[in-house]
Amino acid sequence: MKLSFPSPEFDDAVAAVCHGSTTEVEMRALNELLRHDSRARDEYLLRVELHARLASEPDLFADFADVAVSRQCAAIFPQESMRRSAKTPLRNQDSGWRTPMVWSLALAACLVLTVWSVWSFWFQRPAPRTGTTSKAVAMLTRVVGARWASSAGPLRAGGALEPGWLRLESGLAEVAFYSGARVVMEGPTELRLVSPSEAVCPVGRLLAEVPPPARGFRVKTDHLEVVDVGTAFGLVAARGRTEVHVFNGEVRLHSAGAAEQSLSEGQAVAVAGGVGPRLMAARAAAFTSLFEFRQRSLASEAFRYEHWQFASAQLNEDPSLVLRLDFDSRGGTDWTLRNTAEGSRSVPEATIVGCQRVEGRWREKPALEFQSVNDRVRLAVPGEFEALTLAAWVRLSGLDREFNSLFMCDGFQPRTIHWLIRRDGVLGLTVFGADPGQFQILASPPVLTADQFGTWLHLAVVLNGPVREVVHYVNGEPVSGETLELHSPFRLGPTELGNWNAGGSLKPGPHLIRNLSGALDEFVLFRRALTDAEIRALYTTGKPQPDP
Amino acid sequence: MSPDAQDRFGDSTPAQQRFLSLFLRSEREIFRYVAALVPNVTDAEDIVQQTALALWEKFDAYDPAQPFTPWACRFALNKARQWIERRQRWQALLDHGLAEELAQRRQELQPEFEQRLRHLEACLEKLPPQQRSLVQGYYYERTDVESLAARSGRSVAATYKMLQRVRQALQLCVEHRLSPEQA
Repeated sequence: MKLSFPSPEFDDAVAAVCHGSTTEVEMRALNELLRHDSRARDEYLLRVELHARLASEPDLFADFADVAVSRQCAAIFPQESMRRSAKTPLRNQDSGWRTPMVWSLALAACLVLTVWSVWSFWFQRPAPRTGTTSKAVAMLTRVVGARWASSAGPLRAGGALEPGWLRLESGLAEVAFYSGARVVMEGPTELRLVSPSEAVCPVGRLLAEVPPPARGFRVKTDHLEVVDVGTAFGLVAARGRTEVHVFNGEVRLHSAGAAEQSLSEGQAVAVAGGVGPRLMAARAAAFTSLFEFRQRSLASEAFRYEHWQFASAQLNEDPSLVLRLDFDSRGGTDWTLRNTAEGSRSVPEATIVGCQRVEGRWREKPALEFQSVNDRVRLAVPGEFEALTLAAWVRLSGLDREFNSLFMCDGFQPRTIHWLIRRDGVLGLTVFGADPGQFQILASPPVLTADQFGTWLHLAVVLNGPVREVVHYVNGEPVSGETLELHSPFRLGPTELGNWNAGGSLKPGPHLIRNLSGALDEFVLFRRALTDAEIRALYTTGKPQPDP
Repeated sequence: MSPDAQDRFGDSTPAQQRFLSLFLRSEREIFRYVAALVPNVTDAEDIVQQTALALWEKFDAYDPAQPFTPWACRFALNKARQWIERRQRWQALLDHGLAEELAQRRQELQPEFEQRLRHLEACLEKLPPQQRSLVQGYYYERTDVESLAARSGRSVAATYKMLQRVRQALQLCVEHRLSPEQA
């Protein structure tokens, strides 16, 4: 093949290079031409430059970005069936309710009725599945050239791991246990995950790092049990022999027929066959590849964390940002969270009730875990809004309740919202109208599944009053788009993250328990509708691992 | 434990913040530098990511008195070379010193590109709505061509072809806008 310039073939070849669809033959012909024809080379560079600018200058599109949202959603869900099932008619109270005679009675009854009707309405659609809870004990955080034995299911970085065997034939992999312990291993290694703080390794080579909260993390081999009370140890296990090297802190060893033994920094032992433990000096050299892999993991993770922090500082200055909780910036006390949105001082500090601080998306970054029915973050957001965007990084432990609260305004106040996840993985936004008892449910298809439990998910919802639309997002992608039939403005007022305050006059019942089972690592609230691209950018800058 | 291994535990330096602000300011230019060699967007982004990590690891060696972008582009060229080495197709394109030649020539043409492409935004606004939404879908929303094709009812091949035509139209437009000024 030979290319000439100018020619339609040249045009096609340049376009194909930009699209990444050129064949090797075309590439070779283009190489030949560009090296010998300087006009062709300059023209090539100009075309590629134009292409690269379009790809790298989002500002070029700033003017018409907003228009795209509605168009795109219509395109994503063209099937009428999905639209119909997602679309919900408005429920208005009987007009008799508004006559003055029964007005006071109506008000009293209204709350109860709304609870009931919202509740029953949600369940007119797909039959509720029984709640599922994740059994995951760890997460696969990073792999390089990993080949897994076929018995293992598909394994990807960022995926949750349940108790069971990991059989790494070759390559390197890092596992983060939910206790906080991290294990990097090199194939061939067999590791059985037992609990967030226990594993069994009959064969293989691994390096464990155990921060103080994970103290007591243990690894068993055929010959002994290693309990870490310090920070880092290496382990080489074979059928006939186990070696333990301590690089930092201290470990305790239990082996059959021998007294408990303590091993400190710089020490190592070998246990073989019936022979008792033999003391030696720890050798880091035997673990070089693991140290290097770990170092790269740390660098890559810290890089993403820093990147996110930098992007966060810019986000905080967005004038349309009403509230941003990073779960790291504390307020006046340990039990308050500071709103980091620079332009929004009217939102007071949020208050943590219960909850546990846990490791977030990155090891230096805290998150807040919600577990018991009392765990919640209370906040108050004054003002009225034409549009709202809510987004959060969430790690679900399970969907235990019929409704699992993300962000729910207290009670059923007019013009407020409830953002939640239904037991069957449906994302929902209930929007309350101006009249008591008037509401609309805007729900996605069931999009969250049990295999996503234990992993960090970016969830977002855009409530666009002027355009009359609600779009749900998972990991930066729109998953539903529906027409909003209620009018703005909207209000929030007293609100809870991860739980719901039903309001005083209601009898407790199962449908009123809506606590989240999982962790939140970041929450943002904007007073405008973000575009698809902006939501995607929130996801991209915040995702804990780069795409594999 | 060797002091070397000891060092590998616990890092995080304050310099990283400084690095990031420099890097993010140059990121688009680094991307375009890489794209001159590997124009495919996702591949170029991949190389930029790897460059970022390499830059970060070597940030100690950066002399703040020197401009950051050219320093970073030297790393980008290296990373692009390594990336290309593992991909036969791209090797065929960039063989026999063409990679270096393209990078070099692009630097020379830079002022001219700036002048020509400064009308790009105005030209984008003049596109018919259908074309504009395609360009936006592909470059801004980063929707894959398969979905864009489904969205518009065209075939995948026709969608690629249309993207090519829209770029051609944009190029004609920026050149047209350029000529009266030069006259």
